[in-house]
Amino acid sequence: MRRLLKKASRHFLYLHPWQLVIAILGITLGVAVVISIDLALESALHTFKQTTQALSGKASYRIIASDGGLDEKLYTHLRVGQGVQNLSPVVNGYVHSTAITAKTFKLVGIDPLIENTFQSAWRQDNKTGNNLRLITEPNTVLISRQTAQSMQLQIGDSFPVTTDTGRHILKIINWLPENNARELFAHLLITDISTAQELFGVLGKLSTIDVVLAHDPAATIQRIRQALPANVLLMPLNEQAESLRQMTQAFSLNLTALGMLSLLMGMFLIYNTVSFLVIQRRLLFGSLRSIGVTRQQICRLIIEEALLLAMIGTVLGILLGIILGHSLLPLISGTINALYFPVDHSVLKLSPLQIGKGCLLGIATTLLAVLVPAWEAYRLPPHRLLLRSELESGVRRFIQSAAWLAVLFIFLGLSLVLLTGNNISMGLAGIFLMLFGFALLTPQVSFVLMTMLERLLARSPSVLVRLPVRMVKAEISRTGCAIATLMIVVAATIGMDLMIGSFRQTVSEWVKISLPADLYVSLSGNMQASHKSAADHLLKQRLAKLNEVEMLSSVLRTQLFRGHTRNKVSVFEINEKSRQGFIFKQQSHEIWTAFNHQNSIFVTEPYAYHHGLELGDNILLRTAQGEQAFAIIAIYADYSGDQGHLAMSRNNYLRYWPDLGFSGIGIYAKEGSNMIQLEARVKQLLQPYQTVKSEQAIYQLSMQLFEQTFRITETLRWLAGMIAFLGVFSALMAIQFERTRQLGILRAIGMTSGQLSWLISIETGLMGLIAGLFAVPVGFIMAYLFIFVVYLRSFGWTLAFYFNAGVVFQGFMLALVAAVLAAVLPALKMAHTKPADALRNE
Amino acid sequence: MIKKSAIEISQLCKYYLESGRQHVIFKDLSLSVTAGEFIVLLGRSGSGKSTLLNLISGLDPPSKGHIEVNDIHLCELTEQQRTIFRRHHIGFVFQAYNLIPTLTVAENVLLALELIHAISDYDRDQVVSLLTQLDLADCLDAYPDRLSGGEQQRVAIARALIHNPDIILADEPTGNLDIDTGKQVLALLENLVRKAGKTLIMATHSEEVTGKADRVFVIKNKALTWVTDKR
Repeated sequence: MRRLLKKASRHFLYLHPWQLVIAILGITLGVAVVISIDLALESALHTFKQTTQALSGKASYRIIASDGGLDEKLYTHLRVGQGVQNLSPVVNGYVHSTAITAKTFKLVGIDPLIENTFQSAWRQDNKTGNNLRLITEPNTVLISRQTAQSMQLQIGDSFPVTTDTGRHILKIINWLPENNARELFAHLLITDISTAQELFGVLGKLSTIDVVLAHDPAATIQRIRQALPANVLLMPLNEQAESLRQMTQAFSLNLTALGMLSLLMGMFLIYNTVSFLVIQRRLLFGSLRSIGVTRQQICRLIIEEALLLAMIGTVLGILLGIILGHSLLPLISGTINALYFPVDHSVLKLSPLQIGKGCLLGIATTLLAVLVPAWEAYRLPPHRLLLRSELESGVRRFIQSAAWLAVLFIFLGLSLVLLTGNNISMGLAGIFLMLFGFALLTPQVSFVLMTMLERLLARSPSVLVRLPVRMVKAEISRTGCAIATLMIVVAATIGMDLMIGSFRQTVSEWVKISLPADLYVSLSGNMQASHKSAADHLLKQRLAKLNEVEMLSSVLRTQLFRGHTRNKVSVFEINEKSRQGFIFKQQSHEIWTAFNHQNSIFVTEPYAYHHGLELGDNILLRTAQGEQAFAIIAIYADYSGDQGHLAMSRNNYLRYWPDLGFSGIGIYAKEGSNMIQLEARVKQLLQPYQTVKSEQAIYQLSMQLFEQTFRITETLRWLAGMIAFLGVFSALMAIQFERTRQLGILRAIGMTSGQLSWLISIETGLMGLIAGLFAVPVGFIMAYLFIFVVYLRSFGWTLAFYFNAGVVFQGFMLALVAAVLAAVLPALKMAHTKPADALRNE
Repeated sequence: MIKKSAIEISQLCKYYLESGRQHVIFKDLSLSVTAGEFIVLLGRSGSGKSTLLNLISGLDPPSKGHIEVNDIHLCELTEQQRTIFRRHHIGFVFQAYNLIPTLTVAENVLLALELIHAISDYDRDQVVSLLTQLDLADCLDAYPDRLSGGEQQRVAIARALIHNPDIILADEPTGNLDIDTGKQVLALLENLVRKAGKTLIMATHSEEVTGKADRVFVIKNKALTWVTDKR
């Protein structure tokens, strides 16, 4: 019985292969987008964790200092003075190689003689004897075989690299082991600690000390902590990794939400297809019910079919997700690099959990999407299954109830958004609920709008004018869903475009204001380098002596400990003009005197938001003399990162911390100076790794970086849009193909194929018009919620809302054009179908 | 007086390709119909009655042969021209009524006129008058799915006649109706067509109709066989 039932049903499916393909494509793309985001995000973070593990081995703790680095005497003191075993000193940094192709390597200097208890991945397979050559021969390194071969290098060959201290030649003495971690080693060089210190100019300094706690961990921790200076910390490595993961949580959540939007669009697509397949087979189901097939059997038949589609779509989705993940990984790693912390050359990592997640998502979404059509087929008695008009009148009652449900969803969504404080997930859930509510409201809105238009056109004598309106209204079960899908994607487009536009405009204005100087010198360099501070000061003096220079300002970007976390700090040396470079959100009186002479501090808006700080609060920072309190005297706008930072005066900083030189110097030229000449003269004073840029060039670079960080958002938005349009095309085409017979009648009574195409285009155009009209207010609400809820909660930024009529017009046109385009295929098909064949169609 | 020929069919062939095999419907079929004649086509299901009507109306092009309607050679027309031809010269009544479900009764009839020219108040009056004549005055603003089968078929007849075509083609117009309603519809169709002097070709299974027809043909073995001639 079941076999025959399936045969009767599937024959129909074979006759509509394109519908099946589109449904599978919907599931595939939805799953692929979610999986790819998950894969890329997890892989980027996993790479970071794995690289740490590969280098640190069994180390569970790490001794860290602020940017000044650790004195290497501390290592001796801990090992000899305190008798702490299993310590691994590390010096790391980045070197650039131009051999064959330009490559950036992470160069890690270690002690090849340390205990085997570390079991670092780089050490496996390498006999200690080989590693000893790292000590005995200066400028020798271990490198991955594949990387070396891509650079046409062998063991014994040398290649040039550059660092802040200049050009150096490194010699390969051995390969890094070819174990599980070999992919992570593609951009890694291992060397002896003294070579690393020389290459980076940090003699006597260490970056970190890794610790393995072998025996009596609590006592060892206690011993180490007692021996450490106040501004040096012993941190558990997993805690460090966790804090980095938390740092990217908001970013990850926003990307996941975009992925879920794609899945939601995919769900609409599946719903459209399955309901089309149910409606089209109502005659078959009616006949089967009439001969005694039960409701449950019909329902099971539909669900089994959907499950089959889900399984095929999910498997394909996971495969496509892996491919897509490869493309998204550089984009996501790039953004994490730019905004959070360095993730070196991530490798895509697929776990069984992710595959399971993908399967669950694909199948659950499909089952959710078929609930309504399966219920439709379940609840109708056999005789009513045969009538399309009965089906539509049932749907009309349903969309009225759905409208009330929609209002409830919108209200619930709004309540979630307003009443959940700073919770990002709840904010996003609220927005999704509202969006779903608006989608659910769309069929009723469409029905009401079409009724109004019908009344308006009632005075027209032309039947042809009224026909498209009636066609939209009469099959609202299908047209309503297509309009809802189109509305959601256009609203999302308008919302995100308005949001990105507002963000761009806000950032653009902020960058312009925060660049009061004419030229900016960038003094990047390893802050642990002993010569850096003196060299920076010398350069500053030389710059001040230039004839065209009126005044200078400077900034040092460093990190200081607040409790157990490292916080970014900008140390400013401010003049009259550079004071204009701050946009204060809140400030005390007489801030500049306090800023320079008292224990006071500015915090950026995101920092204050994430740490729940207000004006007047105190921040405790670790210094060599213990913790010092700094009063917050101003909160200012900053869009350079979402974690935010602190700002203090150079006077204040030097009272407690060592002088690490400068990260940048601002040059204010005298009135009427020739800027090109000045820039050229400044350039002559700089080292090769130092740069000078005009305020305009920095503005352009900043905006480029802005666009770069939004590239991932844009990519995902386009993917969601693509799925949605596929859904809209599929729904609109299904509607037209379904009424082939009706269109055949029109041809039979004398309507030409051109007139028919026009009629179909007007109908779909009307649907696009409704979607576009409804999408404008929904898009506005979305933009508003993104700016004032999601972005504020995720990143702590307050952005100004900028209205852009062009975006709204584009969105509206998008709806219209997409809808009219969807009419092309059915119109072409009808033009090539003989009316006699169309009339035979059932 | 020699009556003008309305339809001239000669050596008409129609075949379909089905699973790669040629399925022949007619072979060398010829027929001449004079204006105002009432022709009945009999034949078993699948014999090709509907196909012949489709060929005469230009809904389907022949595989071979000639069809001339009112001196117009259908085989020489493009798809677009055949549609325009149908619009002016043919009124079609289908077994399944084939009304547009999204248009009211009056609009279904008006549509056939609007495809020819812009609608005027005179046209509206004409439609109301014809529908009243067909006892449908109370259903002008009703949608087809609210009407009985007989009422729907009367609307279809009104649609077929409203633009005053020369030829009416009726494909089993009583096939979906009960005996009494079928008789009423047939009487109405014959009455209107005869009165207006139109040519009527009706495909049917009903032997009863044969008594009213001028000529009766049977399609059998892919050919047209003449049965009766009352002329």
